Amino acid sequence: MSDNAESPTETQKDDPSIQHAATEHTGASDEKKKIDVLLKAVGDAPIMKTKKWSVERGRTVQSLAQFISRFLKLEASEQLFIYVNQSFAPSPDQEVGVLFECFGSDGKLVLHYCKSQAWG
Amino acid sequence: MSQENRKQLFPSIQPNKAISTSTSEMAGERNPASCYLDERTFRLCCQLFLQHSETIQDGWSWEQIKGTDEGFMKKTVLMPVKPSFLHKQHECSMQDENMVTDDVQANVEDETAGVQAVCEIHAVLRYEYHVLYSCSYQIPVLYFRASTLDGRPLSLEEVWSNVHPNYRQRLQQGPWDTLTQQEHPLLGQPFFMLHPCRTEEFMKPALDLAQAENKRMNYIVTWLSVVGPVVRLDVPLSYSSSAVISLSVSDSTDPEDVQRTC
Repeated sequence: MSDNAESPTETQKDDPSIQHAATEHTGASDEKKKIDVLLKAVGDAPIMKTKKWSVERGRTVQSLAQFISRFLKLEASEQLFIYVNQSFAPSPDQEVGVLFECFGSDGKLVLHYCKSQAWG
Repeated sequence: MSQENRKQLFPSIQPNKAISTSTSEMAGERNPASCYLDERTFRLCCQLFLQHSETIQDGWSWEQIKGTDEGFMKKTVLMPVKPSFLHKQHECSMQDENMVTDDVQANVEDETAGVQAVCEIHAVLRYEYHVLYSCSYQIPVLYFRASTLDGRPLSLEEVWSNVHPNYRQRLQQGPWDTLTQQEHPLLGQPFFMLHPCRTEEFMKPALDLAQAENKRMNYIVTWLSVVGPVVRLDVPLSYSSSAVISLSVSDSTDPEDVQRTC
């Protein structure tokens, strides 16, 4: 397995809709708007130092993938793949809130991710 | 009851057989390290996939080549795009656009109001997707062709511009899923194809994960859910349900082999 990735606070500032679940102190209204996501690496993917995130329901899979790619500092040629229910890749336009409704358990949505090797 | 007695009464039960057979069955009797699919498993996975498509009216069908035992899955989709999509590519597009709209309006008597509205506002493309088994690669391959409603085939450039933005940058950078024009192996007509050379990169992790957690999976469902959206083919979430993944009893020689996913 690869080295742990460090937390880029810069990224967190850019994406207020994705926040570290552990530091989230939400009111009732916020809790409805956000869901807890647990990110698990598979294959040779780097393991994220922070695995649990609070994500706005309306956020798309594509948007989340971009966030993870930046967090892991993937190269432009590397593609991130996200799986729900372990072996199904949700459409990039799918909202995470819908995935949570379908596949969430114990109050969180588990997403596995892997990456393609950089070309060259 | 002692082990001895149990064996005498139930000689057909072998505790670990169900697990190993099921994972090797669905994985195509593959070596754990590889991600290849044998043709029989390809057909089984397609069969389950098609059953679910039927249930949710997703429009897939099985096309058998007459006189052979070869076949493929097929689906046709009408896809609205902004009129500017076609305007950019062709000089006479304005005229084509009006012709398309007129033709469509003339034929929409039986169409729903929703479809008619789409045709009036947007240009409509026709995408035809085929899922084939590649004997040489021993994996499935996605072929497709695209045209406007008046039958003009889309150029490679137009097809490229319609690749989902999530993948467009990386597609252009590497051979990961290069879009190429190929002759359809069974129909002999020109199609576009997503090159399968990188299939292992996104299939292996999912296969290993399923095996590690002793969960069954449908190779075609996993594979298509990854490659489909690249070329605007939607694979609804319900395909991931256990009904599409479990083998039916008739496909298994031993009823003990049948396992339910959690």
